[in-house]
Amino acid sequence: MKILVVLRMIPDSAGELELTSDGRGIDREWLDFQLNDFDDHALEEAILLKEASGATVVAVAIGEGSNRVLQMAVARGADEAIALEAEGDGMIDSRAIAGSIVALARSKAADLLLCGVQSTEDLFGQLVPYAGALLGWPHVSGSSRVGIEASALRVTQERGGGIAATYEIALPAVIGVQTASKAPRYVSGSKLREASKTAIGKAPSEPAGFERSAEIVALRLPGQRGSGENLGDNPENVADRLASILAAKGFAGV
Amino acid sequence: MSETPILWIVTLAAAALTLWRSRRYIAALAQAPGASRFDQPWRRLEGVAIAVGLHRKMLRKPLSGILHALIFVSFFVLFTVTIEAFGSRLFPGFSLTPIGGDSWIALLQDLFAVLMLLGLGLAVYQRYALKPARFRGSSGSDAAIIYVLILLIVSSLLIEAGARIVGGADGSWRPVGSLVADLLRALDLAAHPTERIAYWIHIGAILAFLVYIPGSKHRHMFLAAPNIYFRNLEPAGTAPAVPSERENPGVTSLGQFDWKQQLDLLSCTECGRCQAVCPAYASGLPLSPKMLITDMRDALANDASGPLVGGIIAEETLWACTTCRACMEACPVEIEHLPKIIDMRRHLVDEGHVSPMLQDALTNLTRLGNSMGKPSKMRARWTKELGFPVKDARSEPVDVLWFVGDYASYDPRVQDVTRKVAELFTAAGVDFGILFDAERNSGNDVRRAGEEGLFETLAQSNIDAIRECSFNRIVTTDPHSLNALKNDYRHFGAEFEVLHYTALLAELIAAGKLDITAAGGALVTYHDPCYLGRYNGGFDAPRDLIKAAGYTLHDMPRCRENSFCCGAGGGRIWQGDDGVKERPSENRIREALSLGVDMFVVACPKDKVMYTAATDALGVAGQLKVVDVAELISLREAPAAETDDRVEGCAING
Ligand code: SF4
Ligand code: SF4
Repeated sequence: MKILVVLRMIPDSAGELELTSDGRGIDREWLDFQLNDFDDHALEEAILLKEASGATVVAVAIGEGSNRVLQMAVARGADEAIALEAEGDGMIDSRAIAGSIVALARSKAADLLLCGVQSTEDLFGQLVPYAGALLGWPHVSGSSRVGIEASALRVTQERGGGIAATYEIALPAVIGVQTASKAPRYVSGSKLREASKTAIGKAPSEPAGFERSAEIVALRLPGQRGSGENLGDNPENVADRLASILAAKGFAGV
Repeated sequence: MSETPILWIVTLAAAALTLWRSRRYIAALAQAPGASRFDQPWRRLEGVAIAVGLHRKMLRKPLSGILHALIFVSFFVLFTVTIEAFGSRLFPGFSLTPIGGDSWIALLQDLFAVLMLLGLGLAVYQRYALKPARFRGSSGSDAAIIYVLILLIVSSLLIEAGARIVGGADGSWRPVGSLVADLLRALDLAAHPTERIAYWIHIGAILAFLVYIPGSKHRHMFLAAPNIYFRNLEPAGTAPAVPSERENPGVTSLGQFDWKQQLDLLSCTECGRCQAVCPAYASGLPLSPKMLITDMRDALANDASGPLVGGIIAEETLWACTTCRACMEACPVEIEHLPKIIDMRRHLVDEGHVSPMLQDALTNLTRLGNSMGKPSKMRARWTKELGFPVKDARSEPVDVLWFVGDYASYDPRVQDVTRKVAELFTAAGVDFGILFDAERNSGNDVRRAGEEGLFETLAQSNIDAIRECSFNRIVTTDPHSLNALKNDYRHFGAEFEVLHYTALLAELIAAGKLDITAAGGALVTYHDPCYLGRYNGGFDAPRDLIKAAGYTLHDMPRCRENSFCCGAGGGRIWQGDDGVKERPSENRIREALSLGVDMFVVACPKDKVMYTAATDALGVAGQLKVVDVAELISLREAPAAETDDRVEGCAING
């Protein structure tokens, strides 16, 4: 089995975001980038599948800092690392990258495409259905466990209210991973240093063939919210203070 | 049958049995990887003379030290009895008489037999009446067997001497022997048979002792001196590098430890001094440095199967250590606990066996160069609120390159102190600059958490950045960075002159560069940070600063080399408090509270964080204020210099 796993680099949310001068994008010049958390889980699930059933894992990364993350993927057990050339340095738009991912899945003869269920730049999790549609493969999103049984996948999907549904899906397939079966492992610095010698392949960007459907006309930064007040841990003081705040705001007549 | 062949037979049999009982140790040491501990013989011998000859560390516990000294010296004097007892029968005609065996040597033997019994009595009193907690976990039966054997050896030699006097020997040089002789006469015991029986009891007890030793902590009689001789002479702050011949960074079996590390295991006396000072042990975590050593020793002795890490030594035991080094400082036979702990942690990290919190911290460090997960661009944020710009050492030459460190840079609870230090430097006219976003965590605790690969990455990145700058000296805020830059970076060939900010400030004050308004002599106490004090000997500069600032220092009972760790070191700050009954920091605050001082002075950013949290948790923040030593210093012309003033309140001279 061959697994292709998608790793997207997203702006580090701990950094300070600034908008570009046209107000339609985030100024990426001073940002730190980090691996999308869900993609980290997708990578872990891929490695767990490899360990359980001997798959080959190809990691493909998109965005600034791809090489570093690909080295990490190799240190964790990926067999091949590919950096996807991105168009411009804007947001990673699922509609735009789906074509390149699909082309890679085909050229690498992958049986399974794993990506994170969403990213901060794809909040609605569109990459999985786009890729599934372009490939003509079945797809499931929001997995919390992916296992392999007699050449079919068993995918557990978290539903609301603590209910979990398990699907059986024939390969090839596309899965949007919410959490891996186990938390992503730690990979030591010495393994990373070892992996930093791995050659990283390159793949060109391919058009998805979709018409452009919508444009961003404006982005807005989160508004400045008032700061909180710590009421301490003495119940009496807390009660007094709370009462006076409520009174001051006109909620209660104290 | 004459006594000579019998004695030969039993002596040789006992020697053979002793060797056989030692076979595993001998084999283990012979097969162990090498360690270069043969340099500087004079310095090594000097250390042995001080440790063994003067009982320097032993006497830190006066009762133990004195009783051990009594037994130790008496042993050497009474060894002449052993020589005579064996010599005279193994080699008929041998005697010490020509050199005074019947005169002054006899007198000494008599007196030291009594001193030996006195030492023994004190030992019994200590172990069974005083019962110090440090003996908890030590083998009680081992100690008891040795006490009985010593009692047999000494009493039999006195009875033998007494019986000889009864039989007509001269008793004038043997006052104690004469008293025993009177007793024998009173009991109407026949001289000759009594002498023979006492002789053979003496011989038997000595040989039993010999045979018993390989399986007992009394191996230290033979191994303590060599273990001290082969001690580590590298600076205390340099963590041992991974030997190049090792395939993986860590150690997974006892046999991978070099011969000195294995010799350590065999030399432990089970005295528990290490356990008594261990903050992890005190906080209720499953780590006793003594048991760490004896558990591995027992595994070595029994050729135990099963894994070392996670088996013989539990993972929680390894993660409990703060790397404070108090155990090594206390150990009278120079056992090195930390290299073993670090080597076993290296294995855990390499396998990815880290707790989620530690994983987060290490992942942040890998990604961003700081454990908090903050962007590197925000590292120099604290400078924005200063009233003056700070030089970028990467683009202009400076005299002092200030390596600020993670906590001092990012933690809002410490940034005020960092700004105060910057203002003091500026006031004193120091030409300094920082590395801005090129600075990374120094890797001190990363290395001690067992993450050698990440440490190398961080160190290399810092060294590259530092080498790009033109400067004369480096100053650090964090004692942990001080240690890494000064001691660990030597592994990469980087030898910088590094000093702690307290040392630089003390130097500036001594040179009259800072104009200080002295406070009114209020009582304060001071906590020696492990990595400033015990590791790097920085005991005096902070004390000088406290004095210069006009405060009166009242040291805590555990101060200087014996300082008690705050509990944050060695990566502990990135671990949870699971299993902790009393946080080391709270234990420390209680110690300070008992002194009745108003302020708890620190000289490490982590201490400011740890102890502020501890006074809050104990609800004593109003009673005992945690202040950095820099905050104590108020410059003249500063308006109303209260220590909790916002730093903007402190005017800058010049
Ligand atoms: S270094 Fe400190 S915490 Fe670690 S074992 Fe020794 S005394 Fe205990
Ligand atoms: S390691 Fe050292 S201090 Fe600890 S019990 Fe053994 S001999 Fe004593």
